[in-house]
Order: sequence, then C-alpha cells, then structure tokens
Amino acid sequence: MGVAFLKKRQGFRAFFYSQKAAPYVFVMPFILVFVIFFVFPLISTVIMSFQSVLPGQVRFIGLENIKRLNDPEFFQAIKNNLIYTALTLALLIPFPMIFACMLNSKATIGRNFFRSALFVPILTSVVVAGTIFRLIFGELPGALANQIVGLFGMGPFRWRQMQGTVYMILVMLACWRWTGVNILYFLSGLQSIPEELYESASIDGASTIRKFRHITWPMLKPTTIYVLTISIYGGFAMFLESYMLYTNNRSPRGMGLTIIGYLYRQGWEQNNIGYGSAIGLCLLLIVMVINLVQLKFFGLFAKEDK
Amino acid sequence: MKKLLVAILCLTMFLSMASAASAAEANVIEFWTFAESHVDLYKVMAEKWNAEFPDKPIELSVSVMPYDDMHNKLLIALQSGEGAPDMVDIEIGKFANFLKGEPQLLPLNRVVEPELDNIVRSRVDIYSKDGNFYGICFHVGAAVIYYNDALLKEAGIDYTTIKTWDDYAQAGAKFLEATGKPFGTVETTDLWHFEPLVFSQGGDILNKEDGTPNIDSPEVKKALAFNQDLIQKGILALAPGGNHHAEEYYGMMNAGSYGSVIMPMWYMNRFTDYMPDLSKQIAIAPLPVWEEGQPRSVGLGGTGTAVTNQATNPDLTMDFLAYTKLSKEGNVQVWKVLGFDPIRSEVWSMPELRDGDTKFHQYYVNNPFDVLMEIKDEIPAITVSEFLPPTSDALKNNVFFRAYEEMADLDTMLPEENAKVK
Amino acid sequence: MNTAAPLPTLKEKPRYTLGTVLRLIFFLLLTFIVLFPLFAIVLASFKPGTELLRTGLNVRWQPEVMSFNNYRLLFEPLESDYMIWFGNSLLITLLQSVLTLIVSAWVGYGFAMYEFRFKNLLFTCVLIIMMVPMEIIMLPLYQEIVGMKIIDTVWGIILPFVAMPLPIFFFRQYLSGLPRDLLDAGRVDGSSEYGIFVRIILPLMTPAFGAMGIFIGMNCWNNFLWPLIVLRTGSKFTLPIGLNTLLTPYGNNYDILVAGSVFAIIPIIILFVCFQKYFIAGMTAGSVKG
Repeated sequence: MGVAFLKKRQGFRAFFYSQKAAPYVFVMPFILVFVIFFVFPLISTVIMSFQSVLPGQVRFIGLENIKRLNDPEFFQAIKNNLIYTALTLALLIPFPMIFACMLNSKATIGRNFFRSALFVPILTSVVVAGTIFRLIFGELPGALANQIVGLFGMGPFRWRQMQGTVYMILVMLACWRWTGVNILYFLSGLQSIPEELYESASIDGASTIRKFRHITWPMLKPTTIYVLTISIYGGFAMFLESYMLYTNNRSPRGMGLTIIGYLYRQGWEQNNIGYGSAIGLCLLLIVMVINLVQLKFFGLFAKEDK
Repeated sequence: MKKLLVAILCLTMFLSMASAASAAEANVIEFWTFAESHVDLYKVMAEKWNAEFPDKPIELSVSVMPYDDMHNKLLIALQSGEGAPDMVDIEIGKFANFLKGEPQLLPLNRVVEPELDNIVRSRVDIYSKDGNFYGICFHVGAAVIYYNDALLKEAGIDYTTIKTWDDYAQAGAKFLEATGKPFGTVETTDLWHFEPLVFSQGGDILNKEDGTPNIDSPEVKKALAFNQDLIQKGILALAPGGNHHAEEYYGMMNAGSYGSVIMPMWYMNRFTDYMPDLSKQIAIAPLPVWEEGQPRSVGLGGTGTAVTNQATNPDLTMDFLAYTKLSKEGNVQVWKVLGFDPIRSEVWSMPELRDGDTKFHQYYVNNPFDVLMEIKDEIPAITVSEFLPPTSDALKNNVFFRAYEEMADLDTMLPEENAKVK
Repeated sequence: MNTAAPLPTLKEKPRYTLGTVLRLIFFLLLTFIVLFPLFAIVLASFKPGTELLRTGLNVRWQPEVMSFNNYRLLFEPLESDYMIWFGNSLLITLLQSVLTLIVSAWVGYGFAMYEFRFKNLLFTCVLIIMMVPMEIIMLPLYQEIVGMKIIDTVWGIILPFVAMPLPIFFFRQYLSGLPRDLLDAGRVDGSSEYGIFVRIILPLMTPAFGAMGIFIGMNCWNNFLWPLIVLRTGSKFTLPIGLNTLLTPYGNNYDILVAGSVFAIIPIIILFVCFQKYFIAGMTAGSVKG
C-alpha cells in the first residue's frame, strides 16, 4: 500500500513531500484565504476611509469622511448598539447560566427534552425569525402581542414606532434565539466540573448557594468569558434583526438603526463607499478596544486560577 | 467516507456547471425589477410579442430584488461597466441617480418621439435629460381620493359635494361626530397623502427654476399646517404602520376604520389585493382643492423602465419596451393586468376598457375612467432634479414624523430640514 | 471521625420533591413560550395571506379558511420561484459544507500535528478573523469579487469563507487528541504526509465532521447577507434572499412567505432531531478552551 515517494525524487517534489514542507502545505489554504479575502479587504477599508470612491474618480479626501462621522444618525446607531448589547448581556448570561444549572441537576425531569426544545429557535434563519417577530408585534389590535396585553386590559401598542418598545422587541428576539445556545455552552462547561467537588461540599454542609459561589461560578469562568466575548461581538455587529423589522431598512427617526445598518445604508444603498469604509473602521476600533479591555480584565483572573 | 465526500463534491460541481450551460435559442432579455407585480405585465407582453413577431422571439429572464438592493446593484453595475441587465425598472425617486454625469442608459428617442402626441408627455419628460428620453413610465399616476362611500352614507355625507379642502374638513368633523372614526389618514413615512395639497396651490417640494429643495416654501407649510390642525381635531389619524402600504394600514382600513384616503390611481390594486372586505364600498373621486379652479390632480410616483448601455440587443430591447409601454395593446394590458392609469390617452375612452369587467370594475362603486376623463387636463408634472431623492428622503425620514407625531413648530423646523438636504 | 457506613453511591434515586415539580412546571412554561411563535407561524401558513392582513398574526383555529393552498403555491413553478430558491440553497449548502469541511480539516490538521515557524502567529490570525465582523470588510470584499469575475456565482459566495476559523479551531483541537504514533506508523509505511492525512486521519474524523458539518451546513442554509450582496440573477437566489424579495414596499406576499418560511425550517429540524448530539457538539465547539 505504501508508495515510495521520497526515495528517488529530486528537487521540488522532494521538498514538497518532505516533512519540513508539509505543515506549510497544510496551512497554505488558510494563508491564501486570509491574505486575499481578509487582509486585503481590511487594508482597503482603511485606505478607502480616507477616499471618495466614485467610478473612475477615486481621490483622497483626507479626514473628510471621518469628520462626516460627526452625525446625529451615526450617534443614534452607536447608542442603539450600546443599549442593545448591555441589555442582551444582562439577560443572556445570568439566566441561561441558571437554567443550565437547573437542567444539569438530576432533579429535573425531562432535561434532555427541554434542552433540545429551547435550542430550536436558533435553527431558524434571521429572515424567518425577523418576519415572525415583525408579525407578532404588528400594530393591529389582532396581532399576537396586542392580543396578549389586551388580556391584561392594556391598549394596542404601536410597538415598532416607539423607541422603548423597539429595544424590547430586539432584545426579546435575541433572547428567543440565543438562550438555548447559551444554555448549551454553560451546560458543557458545567459538565466538565467534577462531581466530587460538589460531593465534598455537601458533606461539609455547604448550601446550594455557597456551592454555586465557590465551585460553579469560578469553574465556569472560561465559559462565561467566552459567552461574554461572543455576546459583545454579537451585540455590536447586530444588523439583520433590525433590518428585518422594518421595510427598506427605515425605522422612524432611526430608532432601530444599528452601526452596521448605518454602514449598509451609506456604503451600499447610497453608494458612498468611502464613508461606509470609515464607519466600518470606526466599528472595528470599537470592537478591538472592547476586546482588549476584556482580555486584559479577565486575563488577570485566568492567571490566578491556573 | 472519503469516497462519499469526493462523489458529493463531483456531483455538486457538475450540477452547478450544468445549470450555467443552457443557452437559449431566442434572444434573452435580462430584466431587473423590484416589484413582483410588474413582472406579470412583462410576461403577458412577452407572450404577445412572440405570437406577433415569431421571427424575432424573445425570452424574458426576470430578477426581482428588494427595492434598495436592486437600485444599488444597478448603480454599481452601470458604473463598473459590467453586470447590468438589458432592461430595468427604476423608480422615480431613484432615477436622478442614474442621470448624473454621463447617463449609462440608452436614449429612447427613436421609439418615444413618434408617440409623443399620443401619450401624457410628462410621463416621459420626468425621465429625460438634455432632450433625451431615458425612461418610460407605467402610468400617469393621477392623484385622486378614495372614499368609503358606505361609511360616508351612514354619516349622511355625499362625497360628490366635497369640492374644497374646507368642505373636506367640515365633512370630516361631521364624520367624526357621527361615527367616532377619523375621516382620513396621514403618512409619517411617505409623501403621497401630502403632495396633492402642495401642488394644487401651484407649489412643489423642489424649486421649479433650479430644482433645489423647497421644503420651507409657504405652500408646503400650508399643507402641513392643515394636516396638523386636522390631526389635533381627530379628523385625521396617523396611518398605522407609518404609511398607506403597511400591512397594519391595510388591516385597519379593511376593517372600516377610516373614511377616506388620498392616493394616486395606481393604488387601485392595493384595495383589490389587500382590502377585499371593502368591495363595492369604495368610490374614487377627484381631489378637493383650496380654491375652485386649481388643478385637482398631479402625476405622482412612477417607475421608468430603461434600457442600459450594456444591453446585448439594444434595438430589440427598445422595441420590446415600446411594445409594452407605448403601444395601444401594451397600455390596454397596463390597465387590465396592473390596474394602472395608462399613459396613452386614447385608451381611456376605449369602450373595451371603460366598460370592461376587470376586478377593478367589480370592486369600485364608480368607474375609474370617468374620474380620469374628468381630471385629464388638470395633471401637472412634478419637478425633477438630482435633489429629488434626498428631498424625498428628508420628508419621509424626518419632516412628517416631526410635524405629525411631535407637532413641531413649522416655522423653525422646515428651514432646518431644508438646509440639511445635502 | 466518620465511622458510618460508606457514602451512598453517586447514583442515588432521585426523589421527587416540591422543587422537582416546580422546576418541571417552570420549564414547561418556558418551552411553551419559546415554541409559541413557531406554532403561530405554522398555523398561519395554513391560512391565506389576506387573513393575516385582516387580523394580524394570531393562534385561532379557523378551519373555514385553513387549507394546504399556500403549500401548493410553493411547488407550482408558475406561481412562485420557491423551488428554484430551495434548489439553489441545497446546492450551495452542500457544496460549501463539503469544501469548507475538507479545507478546514486540512488546515486544522496542519496546526495540530506539526511544529513550525510562525505557527503561533498564524494561529493568532485565525483568532483575529473571529473577532472582526464580516460586515466591516464586505464592501471592499465585494469589489474584489467583482474584480475576480466570480460575482453572481457560487464561488463568489463560497471562496472568501472556505477556511472558516471556527472549524479550523475545532479540528485542531480534535486532532491534537490523536496520538502522534499514527503519523510515525504511516511514515514508516512509506506514505507521504498527505497520504497519511487522506488514508489514516480522515476516516477517524467522522464524529468531528458530523458536528462541524451540521454547524457549517446550518449556517450556509440560513446565510443571508453575503449571498444577497453577491447574487444578482433571480434564478440564482437562495431561500433567505428569495423569501426576502416577497417583502416589497407595496405590500407583502404572505401566502408564500409564511408557508415558505415554515418549509425552509423543516430540513434543519429533521437534521436536528436525528443528529442532536452532533449539533450540540458543533455549537459548543468554541467554548471549551483554556
């Protein structure tokens, strides 16, 4: 079965098949994709942020695009993303964690069923999920949300036309889709905690809450950090959910506008590619700063656990 | 396992290449649009074309894309010199973007000029530049008002007596008292309800001389103030969903919540398609005016179909376009299939159209063509310039919301918004 | 000090206390709330679109208007392009999944089994990609794709993302667990490095392929933004894009949109029910790291 490749070949073929070259050949596809489809566009984004890009007339305009960022619409978008991220973090970390603990304990019947059922929403595409929520929160008195609040005697609301309820809809959509996933993350983290720790704690007479504080919480830290990271990323990169809620990506006075929604509108719909790149650059900086801060902050903690 | 993977890989690659390989015998006309409904018209006309001209058959390849997406892909394709379709629907709000600099659309003078006397000329003028016509419209877009005649009769109102906006306001008050419902609605995210009030005064949202934004003009202010007043009295309500195409609005109107709506004639198929419960209850009438003698309508909206400079068979495409939108048969179908008021005026008095039995005839209390004939000389055209898209956007995104939801002071708000239009 | 009998074993019989019952009720309630929207949309898919416009989305059982008509429209080529979109999505998902799996496994293997210069640097690059939202580079990426003449093609959709960071990550982790002796055994047999990968390693990766395959497949099936940007021709649209075109500024074609949305979820749900284990392994891939 084995063919003697190496014995007699010379030159390139010998090198190619050697053990030294092999790792590079394996990694090569990634390098190619990385350079061509990531690094180049990234550099382009940076360069185009300082240009005005029209066909046949690409010229440098210095900081003009950056100055254009001083726009109330853009600030509204940033504000929307900030509030959205804060709210989703507040809801999508503590609750899934608690649910995961509950589902992990043998005292809960039907755990596997519930775990799977709560996971189902993420299987829908954003288009479908956004459409569903759009319909649920329609303005008609007969729409689902209005019917439900109607049971409590509250009037039909114009859900998608008021800033407060718009945040509510977006956060509810995020919770609906991601709770199940986060539960899974925490579950897999929980399952790597040895049972003996809990056992000996029980023997020592520790209450559930103390067990949680001293065993569960510290041991879940890597998972929590991971979920935190992707949630922050998801919060700032949120676009499609808001896009699906409104026709034509237009929400009244920009109440549903996100940073990427703004980028899409400027760079793609209005064909201001230079300005769109500047927006992208700004978002990149925001995300990078947050990640660095977070790594530093939690990096310290990670070290002491090791 | 590996063999399975390889097999799947080969199969899918083969499939993807196979689908690309089919070349048609007939001339393929690649066509982009953003409105699914328009496609029906083109399909009907393509069939007729192939029947009438078997020596030059065409095959229509249609792509329906979301509104903004289509317009932007078109712009990029035209600017980069490749990837554009042969024929494309461009909405009037975006058309100016394609006339900037050197238009990448082909002049349609060859097919348009012979027909200029037969059509409502403004419907090609709005898509023209420097004497060249670049787009042909679907319809005249005559603004009218739709009354829920059944509801009005209940309140003891005869819509034919409403001639001025004062009459309208009074009828509205009477309607509100009798039924407790608003007489009409305003849109916070669209401008159809609003433009007639401006144009009948002889005003416009753009300056007639130079096309610059004109939002702070007295005519605009008067129209907005009128609406603000009626909103505060409860005679006008904010359209649920923000405009008259929102599903919430369709639902509410369908349930008989409002007495009237100000929209152009092309809105007729929205009633038949989305508000079926109102069948035999809706009457179409000419709009009220501020003072008798003012024009009772204006040509609103429109989609100009154009031929790009990347068309593979420009002459054939142009001929087909003319066949669809300029010819008599084409205009008949524009009415029959889409319910739009066609641009070829001779068609309006054709008995087969006027007395036909389309779903529109069955739905409306009176005959749409009677209304059209009544106002046919009172349909001015709007001013078009490169400022039309951003000015429309300013109105749709900010001005109406601030005026109607926040009851902003018009004297400060309008100049502010006007200045912001870039 | 403890002289009692040995501790009870780990598997003590669960006792059903009030707490247990409460938890059950709680989760039943939660599940009900979570699955409720899906139930509503499934119900709506059996009603005509005008019904939806008339009353909004609700959960009333209305046998007088309910029928399979919407689903019939999906399959009727004259009425809708749904089957075209479905077919395109299927094609692209299969193609992209297979290619991405193979390439990512190939790369992950390189990271797992070898030591070489720049290894840590390169791996950091993998992590960097995960931190940068695609939307930031999508404009210049679009221009590149146009320049490379693969716009409006399957390759324009697939190539930029064929070496996905998460699968690479996952495969590296998975493969690091394999003993190096396998490699040596292969080399002794005279096989080339690549032969080892193909003949020895690949067959061992079935569970990993299962997990990642489903993860990548699901993402491809639901992918919306990038294909929307790349594709121009109606006959090439994928399912999410096609469904989106039914939402027009003038009114929405709910008949096809709702039934089509429900039908689009079905393959994924079937896959999920059959391969739950793999789904879960795939989704939790990134979280188990030091």
